[in-house]
Amino acid sequence: MNLNGVNFRWSLIWENRAILLKGLATAIQVSITSLVISLVIGLILALARMSSKRAVAIIASSYVSVFRGIPALVSVIWVYFGWSLLFGHNFTVYQAGVIALTLLYSAFFCEIYRAALMAVAKGQREAGLALGMTRIRIFVSIIMPQATKIAIPNIGSMYIGMVKDTSTFAVIGLVEVVRVTQNLNSVNFQPFVLYTAAAVLYVVLAFIVDFIFRAIEKNLSTPPSGRLSNVLTRRRRERIEALINKTG
Amino acid sequence: MAMQSSDESNDSVLLELKGVHKSFGTREVLHGVDLVVKKGEHVVIFGPSGSGKSTMLRSINLLEEPDSGSIKILGTEYGPGVKGGPQVKRGKPLELRRYVGMVFQQFNLFPHLSALQNIALPLRATRKISLHDAEKRAASELESVGLLPWAASFPSQLSGGQQQRVAIARALSLDPKIMLFDEPTSALAPELVGEVLAVMRKLAQTGMTMVVVTHEMNFAREIGDLNVFMEDGYVVARGGRDFFDNSTNERAQQFIGSVL
Repeated sequence: MNLNGVNFRWSLIWENRAILLKGLATAIQVSITSLVISLVIGLILALARMSSKRAVAIIASSYVSVFRGIPALVSVIWVYFGWSLLFGHNFTVYQAGVIALTLLYSAFFCEIYRAALMAVAKGQREAGLALGMTRIRIFVSIIMPQATKIAIPNIGSMYIGMVKDTSTFAVIGLVEVVRVTQNLNSVNFQPFVLYTAAAVLYVVLAFIVDFIFRAIEKNLSTPPSGRLSNVLTRRRRERIEALINKTG
Repeated sequence: MAMQSSDESNDSVLLELKGVHKSFGTREVLHGVDLVVKKGEHVVIFGPSGSGKSTMLRSINLLEEPDSGSIKILGTEYGPGVKGGPQVKRGKPLELRRYVGMVFQQFNLFPHLSALQNIALPLRATRKISLHDAEKRAASELESVGLLPWAASFPSQLSGGQQQRVAIARALSLDPKIMLFDEPTSALAPELVGEVLAVMRKLAQTGMTMVVVTHEMNFAREIGDLNVFMEDGYVVARGGRDFFDNSTNERAQQFIGSVL
């Protein structure tokens, strides 16, 4: 294709599909690892923030205020170069990426969890207490399942943001989508073609993530709908039906 | 075992509240309430809204921790204790709640669990019992409130009346010694009130000790062995079966007249 005397070599994308997809796989790997860790830390932060101990709550909310405001690019440079300068210890680029993302997104997940936990009706906890359940059991079996259902759509949106933020890790040399694109471009000088390919990869991934989180959401709804939960709860449903027939 | 046999006699005191005080901020909502409930007795608590009925009921199982006052169940004292009273060993709330079942105005079923699981989960959480046994017990409790066919249904698929019946079955599955009802029919559409009252009536007939906060005066008249009228955080009047017709308390009579 030739436009204004510029030759677009779209075939480059197909020729380099393997390396581009490998870059995407790295982006997914880094972001999923960060997602899992920051979901755990985010929950701990949310509980700390809601703690009745003032000091604990202030530490958690300060963490959120600080790290929510730091861009991923700054965070990863700080972790990768700053840490090594300060302590003489070098993280791998993969580790630095995961740590940088986790630092930032724990703060976001803290806020998401806090809102979700507060949205669970007060009567739920009271019912659990009146039934003689321990606080921990109430949290695990009653509050968390309901809060998770509320939080899932926001977690999905955040995860798409995490994937996109991995693109900034090109600066420390993590071979993800953008770094692959930069490398290909320095050899072929086809920025329009190559960055279009990168954009398409991100958009397609965002679609898939959205699809997956919607499926999770559907399966967490009550009554659960969706094929997955149908399969997962079949045995339980059969058990209840057997009980109904036996007792009735 | 000696204690057991004294519990079996009809006149034995099951629950005793003494000097229960409770403030929210600077506003005192309970000004030292006393109440004695005998085994098998059906107590009705009524009065205008804001009179402290619910707070009093909720302090029985320590959902509201009183500022002072004592709750004595089956010989053990719970709560902070009466001001200046004797220091005795006090039981833990968790222990107290094993003896006390509660039904809420808003049902408070767990929306993410089916009717059967709503009953089986607390059973599993509070005693060593297999999943199979818990679900078997849950099914038989559902059957006794007429909801066995709805065992797999989620709260959102049930009517308010059905939800409240599940909530009653859930509380009963834990074999409470006493059942508390906090305006159990107030959130229900009028046509659904009857089915819940029918379950409560049946429960009363089995000899369950009950404390009921309600605005259903006809139901109160029907089951109330002890009727307690509260206003502004005080027990203003109390009386037995003839209370609704023969109470000499002017405020109570006024209130009964306005509700009936």
